[in-house]
Amino acid sequence: MTIRTRAALLWEAPGRWEVGEVELDEPKENEVLVQLAASGLCHSDDHFAKGDISVATLPFVGGHEGAGVVEAVGPGVRTLKPGDRIVTAFVPGCGRCRWCASGQQNICDNGALMLTGSQLDGTFRMHVDGRDVGQGGCVSTFSEWSVMPEASCVKIDDDVPFQVACLVGCGVPTGWGSSVRAAGIVPGDVIIIVGTGGVGMNAVQGARYVGATRVIAVDPVPFKRELALKMGATDAFADIEPAAELARSITNGQGADAAVVTVGVVTGQHLAQAFAAIRKGGTVVATAAGNQNETGIPVNLLELTMYQKRIQGAIYGMGSPVREIPLMIDLYKRGDLKLDELVTRTYPLEEINQGYEDMHAGLNIRGVITFN
Amino acid sequence: MRTRAAVLWPDRSQWSIEEITLDPPAAGEVLVRMVATGLCHSDHHLLDGGYPGARRPVIGGHEGAGVVEAVGAGVHAIRPGDHVVLSVPLPPCGACVACLDALPYLCERGALIGQGFQISDGTARHHARGEDLSVFVFLGTFAEHTVVNEASCVVVDPALPLEAACTIACAGVTGWGAVLNTAEVRAGDTVVVVGVGGIGANAVQAARFAGARSIVAVDPVPFKRGVAKRLGADIAVASLGEAATVVTDMTAGRMANTVVMAMAVGDGRCTEAALSLVGKRGRVVVVNVHPADENTATINLRNLQSLEKQVVGCLAGSWDGRKGIRFLADLHRAGRYDLDSIVTRTYDSLAALPSGYRDQAEGTIIRGVLRLS
Repeated sequence: MTIRTRAALLWEAPGRWEVGEVELDEPKENEVLVQLAASGLCHSDDHFAKGDISVATLPFVGGHEGAGVVEAVGPGVRTLKPGDRIVTAFVPGCGRCRWCASGQQNICDNGALMLTGSQLDGTFRMHVDGRDVGQGGCVSTFSEWSVMPEASCVKIDDDVPFQVACLVGCGVPTGWGSSVRAAGIVPGDVIIIVGTGGVGMNAVQGARYVGATRVIAVDPVPFKRELALKMGATDAFADIEPAAELARSITNGQGADAAVVTVGVVTGQHLAQAFAAIRKGGTVVATAAGNQNETGIPVNLLELTMYQKRIQGAIYGMGSPVREIPLMIDLYKRGDLKLDELVTRTYPLEEINQGYEDMHAGLNIRGVITFN
Repeated sequence: MRTRAAVLWPDRSQWSIEEITLDPPAAGEVLVRMVATGLCHSDHHLLDGGYPGARRPVIGGHEGAGVVEAVGAGVHAIRPGDHVVLSVPLPPCGACVACLDALPYLCERGALIGQGFQISDGTARHHARGEDLSVFVFLGTFAEHTVVNEASCVVVDPALPLEAACTIACAGVTGWGAVLNTAEVRAGDTVVVVGVGGIGANAVQAARFAGARSIVAVDPVPFKRGVAKRLGADIAVASLGEAATVVTDMTAGRMANTVVMAMAVGDGRCTEAALSLVGKRGRVVVVNVHPADENTATINLRNLQSLEKQVVGCLAGSWDGRKGIRFLADLHRAGRYDLDSIVTRTYDSLAALPSGYRDQAEGTIIRGVLRLS
């Protein structure tokens, strides 16, 4: 039985999202059918639309930060049943590859499917006029209905609203883990967070939660700086120079223990500025994505060596989705993680392009699509 | 100069409060006018011979803060008038294998702690009744003045209230360090703190600060359970048995990541109860002092092996006390460290030592502090 569903499609890149009808196959082995309730408008999907990052299959239904309800399960599904509320993880961990076996589910080899667009067996569940449609992160949350791997779904409690739950699928653990896991912040540290949008705001929260004594936020948008201070930042600046100066002034000239880069579109220059702001043996965490062809970080190589500085890339905050998602929900329920404040505005699916325009205009921490 | 101190003489089991002679500070040493000292149980262990090999006569006290009055030759980083908190467990040399392994609190100078003379040249600055006096933990803070090595001194902001801040030196640094360094508590962990005294109360705060998801405090005294909850414990129970039920429920049987043993005196018969509170790779941190001749602990070795459980000792929080003092002083200034809930009673002079320890034994205080000047 095929379902017809409305979804936001990318037909060309660079291009815009077009809401149209998609045919959806029923779930095959180890797959589930999900009715989406909410999906975050993550910058990564905009990178696909802008052509910063190429997807292998067009048309493509984006969205990888979603929450919804399982409606049906395919053969062999044992951990989910119809009616379960779930959050999507854009890397369906296999549990068997070298990375999963070393506790790094976030870089599971299945992550390659983020951009190829197929399901785990290499075939497609979404179609338009007989053409295969690529799915973002195997999940495609810019769609009323979707089919995805059982391993992409993490069950959540009934009492968490979908429009905040969806954010723990990507932006929240990505930012939180950038401070907690990738930077390895420990009590007493001084950290600079460059860019306090839907990801960076959670880097602020994570750093504060594990005891950083100074959390210095950097964002050119005044309302984001104001919110950063409410979310746990101790200081906020419009650009990194005064932030770095403050870090040096409170560390006897040494500099910040870590700088996390969570800007919208990263360049080598951002990372170089962060590099200049950290102390000997400190860490720059590169969380933000940019153009796929961009190379080079203009840092002094002698400083890299002699000051033993570390530039650390981070996907999903260096955490494992099946562990991080329940942890984020738990912290939220206990009042130790603010999520409601992250959702600046909700949009119907038809207004997805408006949502991204608002993001670029600096109006949103996170825009969220809500489905009826 | 003449000053007053609490001295423990050979074959005695009470502090003698008396006048002593104090030499000027030699090279690398500092004369400190003591403002306050905390009443740590470790000093009390001296009275019943808890440290075989500890020389007597000895001036007790090792949790102190004061104001520098004079410095010896070659001391440049500390000046008269500086407010200092005195670091434990010793002034590290910075050059031995332990120091170079980033374990300065285990510095080889520790071998000299039983002798208790100045670390600079092995002689005494403190004298009474014609005898050289040792000083406990290289400090001897049960005194109105003392001479210590410059490497024991941490200069702090004069705005820091020394009466409460003296407890940072041992209880604070040990309790926080046990959680941050020895236990390595991480965001989302479940932590059990057994014994809510000066160390345990700090351990609870540290666990909350480090992002523990759940904190269970264990103490038989209701007042201490109340303090633990105020400092961040989710639940406070009276016994290890109750803790087992609570932790089983809150972790769906996975059990805790860490148990910090911070009782007044350790008891090897409790070790298995503590170990059973932690799950796989869980760590029991033994921070409380055990009797010197206690050689036996009950441990289910099969569970230790098959679940990779760990029993780990902790001396003064497993970090350089100077680093710990600076960290906690900064935290206090930022308004994120509750010292007032830890120092629950202040006494007026050295003469109040016995009543302070009586209150400690009766469980009516978390940490008592003696005001010295």
